[in-house]
Amino acid sequence: MIPIEYFLGFAAILFVIGAYGVMTAKNGIVVLMSVEIMLNAANMNFITFSSFFNDSRGQAFALISMAIAAAEVAVGLAILLNLYKSRGTTDIDEVNIMRW
Amino acid sequence: MDILQYAWLIPLLPVLGFIIIGFFGGRMKEGGAPVAIIAAASACVLSIWVGIEILLRDLATPDEAFVMQTTWLQLTDDLTIEFGIYLDNLTAMMLIFVSILIFLIFVYSIGYMHEEGARKRRYYAEVCLFATGMFGLVVASNYLEMFIFWEIMGLCSYLLIGFWNHRPSAASAAKKAFLVTRVGDVMLMTGIIILFIEFGDLNYTHLFDRAIVDPSMGTLPWDNLQIAMLLIFGGAIGKSAQFPLHDWLPDAMEGPTTVSALIHAATMVKGGVYLVARSFPLYVQVPDVLLVIAIIGGVTAIFAASMALNNMNIKRVLAYSTISQLAYMMLALGAGGYAFYYLGYADGYSASTFHMFNHAFFKALLFLCAGSVIHAVGTEDMRKMGGLSRKMKVTSIAMLVAALSISGIPPFSGFWSKDEVLASVWNAAEANSMFYLLWALGAITAFMTAFYMFRLWFMTFAGEEGEACKHAHESPASMAGPLVVLAVFAFSSGFALFIGDGFLSRIFFGHAHDITSMELLGEIFTDWKTYLSVGLAVAGIVLAYYMYVKRSVNVDNVITSPGGAKVYKTLQQRYYFPQAFDGIGLKVIYPVAKVVDYFDKNGIDGIVNGVSGSITGFGRRLSKAQTGNVHNYAAVVIAGLSVILILAYLVGGL
Repeated sequence: MIPIEYFLGFAAILFVIGAYGVMTAKNGIVVLMSVEIMLNAANMNFITFSSFFNDSRGQAFALISMAIAAAEVAVGLAILLNLYKSRGTTDIDEVNIMRW
Repeated sequence: MDILQYAWLIPLLPVLGFIIIGFFGGRMKEGGAPVAIIAAASACVLSIWVGIEILLRDLATPDEAFVMQTTWLQLTDDLTIEFGIYLDNLTAMMLIFVSILIFLIFVYSIGYMHEEGARKRRYYAEVCLFATGMFGLVVASNYLEMFIFWEIMGLCSYLLIGFWNHRPSAASAAKKAFLVTRVGDVMLMTGIIILFIEFGDLNYTHLFDRAIVDPSMGTLPWDNLQIAMLLIFGGAIGKSAQFPLHDWLPDAMEGPTTVSALIHAATMVKGGVYLVARSFPLYVQVPDVLLVIAIIGGVTAIFAASMALNNMNIKRVLAYSTISQLAYMMLALGAGGYAFYYLGYADGYSASTFHMFNHAFFKALLFLCAGSVIHAVGTEDMRKMGGLSRKMKVTSIAMLVAALSISGIPPFSGFWSKDEVLASVWNAAEANSMFYLLWALGAITAFMTAFYMFRLWFMTFAGEEGEACKHAHESPASMAGPLVVLAVFAFSSGFALFIGDGFLSRIFFGHAHDITSMELLGEIFTDWKTYLSVGLAVAGIVLAYYMYVKRSVNVDNVITSPGGAKVYKTLQQRYYFPQAFDGIGLKVIYPVAKVVDYFDKNGIDGIVNGVSGSITGFGRRLSKAQTGNVHNYAAVVIAGLSVILILAYLVGGL
């Protein structure tokens, strides 16, 4: 049987990759994708613990989280689509008028 | 039904009038005058009822007060401040004359203020508030409560002196009255605070019980009590316009005459005398302060009377006369307390309160008559008046009654009380021969009083018709009516001495002056001092007659002689007191104020502005963190989360 540390380590690596993507990616769509990766890292943890502790609640949370992630992507893509329509770009570094 | 349970309504009724007139007076007839009169009349009925109830109590407990209190402030478990009423014989007497005068003067106001238009609402609202202050002062049950009403009166006095605030003279007179009395009020407040520190309580009952039960020295904090009582007398000086804070009262005549009659003659200025009389159980413990009171009274009496001798303004003569008569009351109180301490009887207390009672009526009458004259001729300058007795019969006779009364001609009311005052001062001389001098001052004042009063009457009503008197006519019934009623009071209030047990057996300090009416009459009329003071008064009247009617004594010769001119000018300039005040203000107070202002602008404001400035500056710099860049936000969130996790790991042992 594969030890739990492997699963958790995998989830942590996924999370860090996602966080790195969020902080560095210029393209809004890539940022959204990175956020998805981070969410999946969290889901990974849910499922791991669910399986190791023989508790099905973790799986339920993972499913809910996926549904919410789908909705979030829909909203995020809608925002990006509008952004592209109004400003002709999806580069989020150029979207900085909401400031002091 | 025990009416005393409802005595707290007395100050409440006028305040209702104040609120109603203040909000709705503009839409009412005469600016809300009917409301004011109804409030005054109901307060008057209640006051007289309560007053008689108190005065007719069983003689076994004559000086015991009826007290009703409710807790107002609970400072600590055993430190509370109450709000309530304190009714004893002195209160009862005050309630009776104050309420009658307030009612009569409100009625008189209808006629006098008729032409004021929209300002009437303000007038009636303010006099109602004043009535609250006066009634509250009289029935208050502790010093703090008294002080609150004291200040309400001060405020109304300020507002009403400045009633015609478009006139610069009225505006500055109001300011002067407010500032000068403020000097006294600060002293009063300091005195009250000292009392509170020493006794831990401000209730009259508590303070007086401690003072009376323990006349043996040592239990009361002596030195501090002396200072406290002196400071409280300072408040009385300010309110009752005694030397050296007298200068505001003549200027206060800039207000409407009804205000002068009500506030600056009959009621508010008596607040100072009332305060001293009310605090008498404490004052009799400190004879040195009483001597100060007597001396200030004696000096003020003659000092103010001398300034009335040559003034040409009819109201200012009366104002000086008020100061001088109030000084009589102070003198009698001082003498009475001093005699109580050393000789064991306080006849000055009864004399003073009796004079206060009589003076309220005849002085209010004098002012209202003057108001009636001013209403008719449109000027306050007596040189433009003359011969008015033919056109204004009621006014001239009423004023004659008042003038005879204040001059002390028997059997008019002023005679009885002035005689009692002078007798009490003479009696106190047994303890300290200083009082012989003060008695002499009082006697000379009696002469001056008779002279200037009849100078006023002759200049106004006798002789040839003055230039301003062509179209003069008698005042309307709402003004003449109160004059007649007051004239009856001014003539007869002195007989209170002989009604029932007599005034002296009801209003007294220590023990009653137990004497029947016949004995009292005998005592008065077998004393050479009585004849002396009546003789002086008659001499004053005769001198005034020869000077201003017969003109056989030429006034001009007196005032143009080198010495005479100097005295005349000094009196006209009020002993240079206004100039001195201005000088002190400009040379001393103003530079001090400038230094304080500099400190305020640069010190206090500097700290305040510095603190607020540094905070806004910090905020402005902090707002730069809002870059609008999503990456920065994400980085900050992740960095923050990392820091929290690391801390949790290190500190919380996660």
